[in-house]
Amino acid sequence: MTDASVIHARFRERGFIVDDAFATALQIMLALEKPLLIEGPAGVGKTESAKVLAHVLGTELIRLQCYEGLDAMAALYEWNYPRQMLHARLSEAEDSSLEEREAYMFTERFLLKRPLLDAITRERSPVLLIDEVDRADEAFEAFLLEVLAEWQVTIPELGTIRARHKPHVILTSNRTRELSDALRRRCLFLWLPYPSLSQEIEILHARVPGLSDRLAQQIARLMQVFRGLPLQKAPGVAESLDWGLALMSLHREHLDTRTLEETLGCVLKVYEDRGVMHAHHAAFEAILADAPANLEPGGYKLDTDFGFGSVSAPRR
Amino acid sequence: MYPFASLPENLAAFCEVLRRYHGFRIGPGELHDAARALEIMDLADERAVRDALRPILAGTLDDVTAFDAAFTQFFYPGPEGLQQDQMPSTKREPGTDADGRGTDARPPRHAPPSGADADETSGSGVDPMTLLESATESLEEATMFAPSSYSPLDAVAVEAPELPRVEQAWRDAARALVRRLHLGLSRRWRPASRGRRFDLRRTLRAALQTGGETLSPRWRRRPRRAPRFVILVDGSRSMSDYARTALQMAVAMATATMRIEVFTFSTELQRVTGEVRRAAAGDFIRLERLHHAWAGGTSIGACLRDFLQRFGERMTGRDTVVMIASDGLDVGAPDMLRDAMRELHRRSAGVVWLNPLLETDGYEPTASGMRAARPYVTTFSSVSDTSGLVRLSRTVRIR
Repeated sequence: MTDASVIHARFRERGFIVDDAFATALQIMLALEKPLLIEGPAGVGKTESAKVLAHVLGTELIRLQCYEGLDAMAALYEWNYPRQMLHARLSEAEDSSLEEREAYMFTERFLLKRPLLDAITRERSPVLLIDEVDRADEAFEAFLLEVLAEWQVTIPELGTIRARHKPHVILTSNRTRELSDALRRRCLFLWLPYPSLSQEIEILHARVPGLSDRLAQQIARLMQVFRGLPLQKAPGVAESLDWGLALMSLHREHLDTRTLEETLGCVLKVYEDRGVMHAHHAAFEAILADAPANLEPGGYKLDTDFGFGSVSAPRR
Repeated sequence: MYPFASLPENLAAFCEVLRRYHGFRIGPGELHDAARALEIMDLADERAVRDALRPILAGTLDDVTAFDAAFTQFFYPGPEGLQQDQMPSTKREPGTDADGRGTDARPPRHAPPSGADADETSGSGVDPMTLLESATESLEEATMFAPSSYSPLDAVAVEAPELPRVEQAWRDAARALVRRLHLGLSRRWRPASRGRRFDLRRTLRAALQTGGETLSPRWRRRPRRAPRFVILVDGSRSMSDYARTALQMAVAMATATMRIEVFTFSTELQRVTGEVRRAAAGDFIRLERLHHAWAGGTSIGACLRDFLQRFGERMTGRDTVVMIASDGLDVGAPDMLRDAMRELHRRSAGVVWLNPLLETDGYEPTASGMRAARPYVTTFSSVSDTSGLVRLSRTVRIR
């Protein structure tokens, strides 16, 4: 797991196509033992990459989903109060001293480990995914910095817990707000853009097995057009995979204008974006017209004529 | 490929170029990391070196773009006047390394970074501080390899406006505005002496002092949500006097809150947040690199659309108050302005439009641009002095 080309191959085995920049960033991240901050548009596989990395490294994935109002209690640890109180009541009859009972109440037995504490107390380095860090508020970011820099957590009742093995940390951000410079400086940075045309075709084949080559080509080319339009919500890779699956389950062989309209919900998720698409219809025509040449208007091409000669398409 | 003989020198000089001309913040830590990363990379592979240094030295998307351009210019310096597309491509396939491209001065690719250089970086490692010191010295040389197009100072400065220092009255008014904006409660729970939710943890901790009896209950409550501000200042010719007042307001606001972003626009949009923050800290700042974002015509719609595309996602949200200082005399299509305003309205807590013409008696927002924007403006007002800002703090409405 040291070379970029190895990472490349291992990720591909699991259906995840990475480009050179991504593979090198992962290589550097593993070598320098620094967190990797991945930014990029929604749906390009930021979260998925952490899952695949855990698979590839053969370790566990610990995920911390950030949200507004996330605080240290939910991210780090919490004492199991009900259990503590129950223990206090039950041990009242025992003749141990107050100090002994109190000391026992604040041991690991009563500690609920949340993702961050969990990640630094594992026997093997896990992959720690801090997902959508931009959704947590600034106060949490400051707290996170402390953990990422020192790899230790101080619990007043227990003392300081140091990481036995540094976890491999991946942070993702959708850029719903600007992250602080301090956090950026602690991390390596990777911008994960939309895939190129050839990459997207490769991804479609890897993730939607059985998708015809023509359909994959059409989807990928249409996606390039969609992403060039001034849409409010541009479709990501997740959308093209959904679209591929949808078209497969509808048994469509190719995309035409009607199929596009029928399955538009897979791609465009904002109502106004449909208007934008129709305003730029010309850009889609060329790709949609890329239908089989021998298809008569209104007719359907059959691969076999069942020995009777086709009734819908003339023999050639 | 490498302008200097030894690898650490190359690295340090390159970092110095990034710092000096591109505003990168590279400290000893980053330099040390970069040196360590190069130890494990194949130095003859230009793309690998580029991919390895980029995550360490660049911190934002803008940095990534600047990094790639600077990398090409530094390691493949072309002669003066060479077109960009004649420069060695950044996306070269490993196998197709064309000989004879670039310049004669360029040393053979595989020669320099071997032998002695590799030894210098490995083993005990490079001391980043010495690298930084030597970098400054070697920079004079490095600038030879960095053509002058690097410098943002070269930009044509059409009567570059200076950011005014703000008086106490402005600061007070700005603070009043920031305080008065109520955006509801945060989702976060904070310890408090009185509150809505019982704080079991702190109550139990307090109970330890009283022998296990919970005599003093502790509480938690939600703090108020702090607003974020985006201020867009119309710097077009028709606005010249008022734009300065608007910038003054922006600087005053920056003294009252850190959660602020400032842009100027005319026919182009330019982010000036950094300058405004420095001015708020008391520095004398002249806005040097405004290009077409100052003293030109006005295309409000296109600039707002540009803002939404480039910054909208990360700078607007339901706690953002967008303030636009403009006279609304737009030369662009009203439809574009309407669409942009609708999206701004949808993605923010409120849109405040500050129009200097409002102070003219009998002004009605009938110009086509203003009429298109009006339905999406939650507060329509003007600020020409501190009393105006105080008045705004009383009348500002958000959704």
